[in-house]
Amino acid sequence: MAENQKIFTLKQVVSSIRKTIEERYQQLYWVKVEMHKLNRFASGHCFPELLQKEDGRIVAQISGTIWSHNYERINKRFIHLVKEPLKEDTTLLMQVKVSFHETYGMSLQIVDIDPNYALGELQRERQETLKKLTKEGLINANQHLNFPLLPKRVAVISAESSKGLSDFMNVIESNTWGYQFFTFLFPAYLQGDNASGSIIKQLDAIKRVKSHFDIVVIVRGGGGEVGLSCYNEYQLCKVIASFPLPILTGIGHATNLTVAEMVSFRNSITPTELGDFLIQAFHNFSTPVTNAIKSIKLHSKNKLTEARAQFGTSSQSFKHLTKQYLTNTNHILVQHGRKLKTEVRENLFYNRSKVLRLQEHSITSSKYRLRQEQETIERVKRNIPILYKQTLNKTAIELSQLEHSIKLMDPLNVLKRGYSITTINGKTIGENNSVELGDKITTKTSTFKLVSTITRKDND
Amino acid sequence: MTKEIKYTDAFEELQQIVSDIEDGEITVDELSIKVKRAAELIKICKSKLTSTEGDVNDILKELESDA
Repeated sequence: MAENQKIFTLKQVVSSIRKTIEERYQQLYWVKVEMHKLNRFASGHCFPELLQKEDGRIVAQISGTIWSHNYERINKRFIHLVKEPLKEDTTLLMQVKVSFHETYGMSLQIVDIDPNYALGELQRERQETLKKLTKEGLINANQHLNFPLLPKRVAVISAESSKGLSDFMNVIESNTWGYQFFTFLFPAYLQGDNASGSIIKQLDAIKRVKSHFDIVVIVRGGGGEVGLSCYNEYQLCKVIASFPLPILTGIGHATNLTVAEMVSFRNSITPTELGDFLIQAFHNFSTPVTNAIKSIKLHSKNKLTEARAQFGTSSQSFKHLTKQYLTNTNHILVQHGRKLKTEVRENLFYNRSKVLRLQEHSITSSKYRLRQEQETIERVKRNIPILYKQTLNKTAIELSQLEHSIKLMDPLNVLKRGYSITTINGKTIGENNSVELGDKITTKTSTFKLVSTITRKDND
Repeated sequence: MTKEIKYTDAFEELQQIVSDIEDGEITVDELSIKVKRAAELIKICKSKLTSTEGDVNDILKELESDA
């Protein structure tokens, strides 16, 4: 190092830099910045990390400073206008002064942040979420679920000690109709930076035990109007819209409806109103049941009265008709009786005369027959002697003829005609009664008897 | 879930009986059967409004086992 070379102290150098920078950057600048971390210290001063990204890569980075008094002022205006405190990880439009401090180095001193730009950014995020959910067809998904007839088993997402929760529980638990709800609390942050993740986590838990629940409610109240931008975040809104159970919100605020409220099954302005809605659902179930009792009573009574009246009329007319029928039948029977009597009488008369006629006829014909028979007998009687004589004569003639024939056949008569009979020992000679030489034979004629001795015998 | 189906069914059946009776489509013979059935259904529905359901322990157990 040269001897006459001037040596500076660090302070001199740093002060020189500071002087140069202060001269160069005298005015204030409006800069669009992503505020990565706020880094608020106990002193109240904040030292945020400021950066710019391009395609996800950090292309510029510098520390920022918000002095406590500035922070208070800016935050107050944010809460008033944007309904959100200053948040990390958001793009902001800030008025900065380039500053250099001897000990802290380079930084951008933030003197103001435009709340309207932040508001616009939030609006943009809200629109973006709506656009995405519409594109994915999820915007009405939760609203298209069937609402249970009785929303009895309620998964409650709320902060343990919040006023909203106690308002809600008060309405459903102290109802005068004795309606019983079953509630199970899934505690979560309901506003601010941690709300979205915390609610999503609890919805995931509910999903695992969803068979135990009919509906999910998200209730918040008494927390003011600040920190509700989480309900416009895409991730949370998507989980709500596509949740398998109806989600009912009662977040309790007066500003624009958040996307989460829009995509939920139903939004109530307050937790109390949400409780009333559930009670009303029970009424809607109970009233028809109560009316059913009345209606059934009334109509059954009417029906029975009607039936009784009908029966009365019927039995009256039955009595009347039966009587009439009996009278008619009786009349017909009497008529038939009369007719029968007449007909029997007529019939009797007719038959009696017929019998008489027949009797007369039979007597006449018997007499005639008898006479005929008698005549026949007489005739036979007369014929018998004649017949007798005729038969006798005939027999006598036959007898004399027989006698003549018999006479003709007498052997004596034969002998008389010249024939003779030769016998031996009284018997005629034949094959069985042969004669031998020397035998004496007798020959008989009509006038005498000759005895001869056989001297010769010639066989034929 | 089966219990829910039961009371939804009971509610619907009751509504049907009421409209049948109101329309006079029921004979006197059927009436007593229907009224008896309606009484049972009303009992189911009414008890549903005031009965306690859900078991905290079951839910806790399931949440723990799944986690």
